[in-house]
This record gives sequence, C-alpha cells and structure tokens, in this order.
Amino acid sequence: MPKGEILAGFLAPHPPHLVYGENPPQNEARSEGGWEQLRWAYERARKSLDELKPDVLLVHSPHWMTQLGHHFLGVKKLSGKSVDPIFPNLFRYSFALEVDVALAEACCAKARDKGLVAKMMRNPNFRVDYGTITTLHMIRPQWDIPVVGISANNSPYYLSTQQGLDEMDLLGKATREAIEATGRRAVLLASNTLSHFHFHEEPALPEDMSREHPFDMTGYRWDMRMIELLRKGKTDEVFRVLPQFIDEAFAEVKSGAFTWMFAAMGYPQIPGELHGYGTVIGTGNAVMEWNLAKAAA
Amino acid sequence: MTIVAAFLVPGSPLPTLRPDNAPWAALVAGYKKAGRALAASKPDVLLIYSTQWIAVLDELWQTRARVAGVHVDENWYDYGDLPYDIPVDRALAEACVEGCRAIGIAAKGVDYDDFPIDSGTIVASGFLNAGAKVPIVIGANNLYHDFPTTAKIAAMAAQKIAAQNKRAAVIGIGGLSGTIFRNEIDLAADHVASEADDAWNRRMLGLFEKGSASEAERLSADYAKAARVDMGFKHFAWIMGALGGRFKGAEVHGYGPTYGAGAAVVEFKL
Ligand SMILES: [Fe+2]
Repeated sequence: MPKGEILAGFLAPHPPHLVYGENPPQNEARSEGGWEQLRWAYERARKSLDELKPDVLLVHSPHWMTQLGHHFLGVKKLSGKSVDPIFPNLFRYSFALEVDVALAEACCAKARDKGLVAKMMRNPNFRVDYGTITTLHMIRPQWDIPVVGISANNSPYYLSTQQGLDEMDLLGKATREAIEATGRRAVLLASNTLSHFHFHEEPALPEDMSREHPFDMTGYRWDMRMIELLRKGKTDEVFRVLPQFIDEAFAEVKSGAFTWMFAAMGYPQIPGELHGYGTVIGTGNAVMEWNLAKAAA
Repeated sequence: MTIVAAFLVPGSPLPTLRPDNAPWAALVAGYKKAGRALAASKPDVLLIYSTQWIAVLDELWQTRARVAGVHVDENWYDYGDLPYDIPVDRALAEACVEGCRAIGIAAKGVDYDDFPIDSGTIVASGFLNAGAKVPIVIGANNLYHDFPTTAKIAAMAAQKIAAQNKRAAVIGIGGLSGTIFRNEIDLAADHVASEADDAWNRRMLGLFEKGSASEAERLSADYAKAARVDMGFKHFAWIMGALGGRFKGAEVHGYGPTYGAGAAVVEFKL
C-alpha cells in the first residue's frame, strides 16, 4: 500500500446561516439568500476540493464537545435530521453520511499511542453535530466522499488554552500518522470561526444583510491580522499570537480544530489561499485553503 | 398555592443508563422518592430549567405540543439511548415568551420537530414524571444570563402560572461540584472528585436542609467558583426565582457522584 498523504487543509467554518442562505433541498428552512460572500468563498473551495479527488474528508467540530477524551465517529452509515439548537429557525437538515471507519480507528489508536484518551463512537442512533454537518455540506454538498468525524475535547476550556491546544497538537500528529499508515489521500477540515463575539438578537428577517457586519473593531482587526499572516505563510507567527487572539477576539479556534489541522500538516510555512471572508451575526469567518499537493509540485 | 413542589435534581444521564451501578444507587433511589413526592403534590405542570439546554441568542421556550424521539448523549452514547415522549403546556410556554419580553428579556418559542432535547430534561422527566402524565414547560439556559436574571425569569414564570390558575412543580436540573474525571474510571469506584468538592456540596445541601435560603443564595457564587459548579448553579437560581426566594427546609433524597462531579436529588419544603 502506498503511503497516505494529506492533500490539503481547509479552514471551513460552520455557521448554519450559509446552508440556510443556499437553500439546498436537504434543509427544511427557506431563505431569500444572504451571506453571499462566504457562500461564494465556499464555491471556490468546492472547486478546489473537487480537483484534489480525496479518498476521505476529516472534520474536527467544536459542537461535538466531549469531556472524556477525543472521540471519533465509528459507525459506517449515519443519518438523520440535524436541527441546530441555537438556530432551529434556519437549520433543519436531513443528512446521510458514510464514515471511513478504518481510518477513524487508526486515528483513535494513534492518539492513544500518544497518551491521549481516545474513543470510538459506535452507537448507530448517534446524532451527528450541526458543526460537522454544516462544514461538510458547504465543502462537498454531494456527500459522496467518506468522512472521519472528530469531537472537540473540552480541555482548552476545562484545563487551559495552552494545555488544551497541546492535546490538539498531539491529536493532529496522530491523525497524520494514521493517514500515512492507511494509505489515504485525505483532506482536513477545521470547522472554526475566527473572532466569535456575536450579536444577541437576530433581525426579523435573518438574511437582512443590512444588519450584518463585524461585531466590533477589535475582532475585525484581529481577523485581518491573522488572515494576513496566514496569507503570507507566517505560520510560526500565527501560532505565537494564537493565545492572545483567542483571548481578545473570543476566537472559536480555541476549541482546537485549527491547531489539530496545522499539527497534522506539520505547520507548513506556505501561503494560505483566502477564498473569502464574511461575518455571520457579527462573528468573523474565513474560508481558506492550504494546498499541500500543489505546494509540493 | 401556585408552586406546589420544588426539586433540584441531577442532569447526568448516568444513573438512568446504569441504575444498578453501586455509586449511583443513592441518586436513583433519591430520584424515585422525589418522583413519589412530586406525584403527591398533584401538579398541573412542571416548570423545568436544565443547565444542558443551552441558548445564546434569546431565552428559548419549548412550544412544541409534544416532544418525542430518541436522544443519544454526546458523551455517554456507549451506555444506551434515551427515548422520550413528553407533552408540553403550550399555553403557559407562550405566556412565558410574552412575559420575558415584558421584563426586557428577548425570548422565542421553539416549535420544531426533531429539535434536540437535552439529556437533563429527558432523565429528570423519566424519573419524576413517569408515563409523562404531567405536561412540562422548559426554559433554556442562556449562557449570557447570570444568576439574578435566571431567577427573574423563573419569577416571571411563577406569575404566569398563578395567572393561569395552575399548580406547578418547579424543577432545576443540573449538577453540584463540576470536576469530572478525564480518564476512564472503574464505574464501580466512582466518587466525588475531591474532599474539598464533597465538603462544599455538603455545606450547600446543609443550608438547604436548614432552610437558610438567603444564605444559600449568597454563598452560591463562591460555591460555583470554588467547586466548579455546573453552570454557575443557575438551576438553583431558577428554583429561588420561582419560590420568591423562600423555602422552609429541604430533604436530600440522594447524594452521590456522577463521574467525579457531585449530584443530589433535593426536595424543598415550601
Ligand atoms: Fe460554532
């Protein structure tokens, strides 16, 4: 079996508003659009993903929060209706996905080898979280590529940002080893928003874009600073300021997906491609790509 | 009397999923006693707050006439499923949405099939409301609401209950000390994570038993901080709000661990 590889990593945030704005048949709620800049960003990312032809998509989501270690979806076929508990008015989505159980098991075993608590989720009635589903829909609405779903252990919140992110770093390294050992051609999806302060009330028409803007200048400045560093490939600098970004912009990257993805990719100092940026109820969201296959060519 | 009974109960699904595990037996037995006490109080409605139903935008109220389905806990999926089928008192829930708005708190009803009902609401309803005979009203735990705001919402709900001439049991669902074990443990050896947590829990339960309502309320913030209490102990705020800040005493029907966290089934004497 040839050695597996990570083809690319995407920063792929999960506001359900993007699915709502798109009006796919799977979503019950209907809109007159909205959040086009971000949806067009995802359109570009979809095209790029399509060209990569990966065997598997791995997604780390903050909305499957676990307290006892890092968990992996471990049932071959999962389906159901996902209703967002925060935005049930926008997101009621019927999904069916296929899990790459062998790769998930390999990730879980490698994570254990590194001293992490790791578990396989084997309950067929399990409801996949809306973060995972939104990210997967936005990047690949055809649902024709198997996935590995990874929970966000609550360590960055429960212990400390640093201890938590150290665990995510190990989890990323374990993920890479598992991908290599199983011969998979994989794409990683970090399901994270950047600045995360948000408005506390929704407009009567949720897609009223005259009401959509960054929550505050602090968060916006931080987002631009981080994106600019990422666009220049200054990965070391990004991770140096990450804890401060998390504190000052309440950034959702605290939950670990971003660190997990970069650790798996080996913290490449290559320019990230920004597919687009936009806010959702005031939070900052960037769709970005690190195409390792292209960088190596 | 509008509020005819009041209970503080755990939201962990573990005692429901593994009732025969020895360290959880006290909670199961306590829940059963509380269930009998609740039935004896003959409520028309259960006014529920569960720390695990999380909201961030508005104060949400369940307004679906009947919530039913099979829930799988995102942490404890190994131990089995949580089926539920519970009627909702829509008229009261809708009055609570309006009532929130009238006191300056943005609120919304939630009326969707397959809306995820939290583990706490399901396990408490299972123990306390066997056969789902009594309709419920559930208010969400808005993360931006503090202890006093939570109490204020519950007080408003109690007024609506009075206005509708109903008898209600108020139920705050959540844990006590919040330190959980982060490695797999032998379930049969589960215990409250530290002596300090255990002492804090017992101190708070002692105040309940003595009927020291205002002292318990005053101590809540320190307790929440020192013992990492589940969601700032806002489930107690809910009870205090509904009771107008008063109770005469309490009976602790059960106390024990849930994977290191503290939990108790408490019936307040009104
Ligand atoms: Fe999120």
